[in-house]
Amino acid sequence: MKTDTTPFFVGYFKVPKKLRKFLLSAGILLVACLTVFGLLIGSTQDDPGNGAFRFDYGRQTVTGVIENLPYPLLHVTEGNDRIKAGETLMLAAGGKMGVMARTSGFSGQQIVASGVLLERGDLNMLQLRGGRQGLRMAEGDGTEMIWEPPVSEPLGRWRIAGEICDGKCLAGAMRPGRGLAHKACANLCLIGDIPPVFVSSQPIEGTEYLMVVDKDGGPLPKAAYDYVAQFISLEGEIERHGDILVLKMDADTIEVLP
Amino acid sequence: MSVKYIPVQWNNNKYYYDAFMLAGVVGFLWFFLHVSPEVLSHERPINPQVHNARAFGACAFLMLSIILAIGPLARLDRRFMALLYNRRHFGVMTACVAMTHAGYILNWYWAFSSSNKYEALLFSNTSFGQFAGFPFEIFGIVALICLLVLAATSHDFWLRFLGAPLWKRVHYLIYIAYISVVAHVSLGILQDQQNHVFTAIFLVSAIVVAGLHVLAVLHERKAGDPAGAVNTEGWVTVCKPDDIVEARARIAVLPNGDRVAVFRLEGKLSAISNACSHQNGPLGEGKVIRCLVTCPWHGYQYRLTDGQSPAPFTEKIPTYRLAIQDGVIMVDPDANPPGTYVEPVEIPS
Repeated sequence: MKTDTTPFFVGYFKVPKKLRKFLLSAGILLVACLTVFGLLIGSTQDDPGNGAFRFDYGRQTVTGVIENLPYPLLHVTEGNDRIKAGETLMLAAGGKMGVMARTSGFSGQQIVASGVLLERGDLNMLQLRGGRQGLRMAEGDGTEMIWEPPVSEPLGRWRIAGEICDGKCLAGAMRPGRGLAHKACANLCLIGDIPPVFVSSQPIEGTEYLMVVDKDGGPLPKAAYDYVAQFISLEGEIERHGDILVLKMDADTIEVLP
Repeated sequence: MSVKYIPVQWNNNKYYYDAFMLAGVVGFLWFFLHVSPEVLSHERPINPQVHNARAFGACAFLMLSIILAIGPLARLDRRFMALLYNRRHFGVMTACVAMTHAGYILNWYWAFSSSNKYEALLFSNTSFGQFAGFPFEIFGIVALICLLVLAATSHDFWLRFLGAPLWKRVHYLIYIAYISVVAHVSLGILQDQQNHVFTAIFLVSAIVVAGLHVLAVLHERKAGDPAGAVNTEGWVTVCKPDDIVEARARIAVLPNGDRVAVFRLEGKLSAISNACSHQNGPLGEGKVIRCLVTCPWHGYQYRLTDGQSPAPFTEKIPTYRLAIQDGVIMVDPDANPPGTYVEPVEIPS
């Protein structure tokens, strides 16, 4: 009669001797593989870039003039140690919210803005404090409140390649703050009126960051949302406003690049 | 086996199983979260929330891959059958790890806005008509729901409540979960990486899981249970008595698709259903221990003569009438009601 010597495992009995070495090896292999994979995957994460909230600079308070494009730009007229007069800042509120509604009444007026700076290369954004603490009319005798809007310098029509991002995450509110895995977050920021920024694959006039508006000067067109975070090329008029480039994108010219 | 529902029927093997599993998960997370940042030369670190989310997400994927590899491995090499035992703990822990990944993601990417984060999750990206930029989060949601359903229904209460066939069907959701995770990762983080180490590990894992399943199917076709020939009286041929090893069984497929397991014990033969009443485990691949057929999956036991579990347990499986004709075992394909006594048939000397 045939006999069976195959070890038979029953959970609530002792493990058969013939199986012990095998199961011990399987357990050790499991732990070793997971540990090695943890180290391998963890140590090959992509660099998220150098953008960051600059809490280390402390609270920044500057005087400047608001230009609504419609996303607001602050042309600094009276700066501080960190932010010099003549610089141009994009503005945002806390979280995933822009400040278009807050700045709409201050267009062309001199204001005092206060908040924390976000910095990524030459991309600067000021996250304003809440209420009047973050944005209020500048007080003075009236002479310094006369402001000549910066001459917008047209730089012609361009076809450029790159990625549409939300300016705040890109500037360092999140690391990483761009790419397809971040697309939904970027869309949510853009829906909240955070200024959109086009990251060009090649520098244009010395910068790779351009604020994006519609070709008629309105907010980011709806058609652009499907292409946020993708590598695309598009055409548009580029203008210089202060030290920031503004791209008036033509949504009909978007092409997805491989 | 139990006569009442208790949260976990702990025994030493479950402690060892869970200890290895936890050691693997802790090892993965510890090295990912606390050792690898020292290796990275980033000017500024990845946000902790994103770093944690990636660690838990990658860990959940690998755990799910391992869980799905155990089944076909057990078909190909019976020694792996021991790893099927307590696999539900592995599954529940995977659901917890996946949930943690989802929590970090949801409370980071969809937080800080004026919208409800759950609503924002659904409306923030609606580019369903394109490959790149597709809202891959939807696949993650599907996978997480599947894993949570599986974890929530993993207890034997649900097995008894739903019945083994339906419970097993529900638990095939594991495949939907895995396919969804593969889509979630493929359309998400894989589209967004410069370094392709994770891509390689991901592809190899998914290919190994798929390959093992294909191999197991081919193995089953080659060495699987034979469909018994039917004689003029409608009885089904199984094998010769000497083909059956003492305390073991041979399995035959009946015309209606059910499987019968014919056991040999101390010179006698008995036929019972091949499906364990617990999780439809293959009783015919089990062994007779102390006169009781013992299921190879979770150790449920049945008497050979009537298919009943010994008191105080109440499980029952169908029995079959059998006979030896011209030196060949024949089985009546009409199953007896579960628990029906059938006198074992003596093997002629």
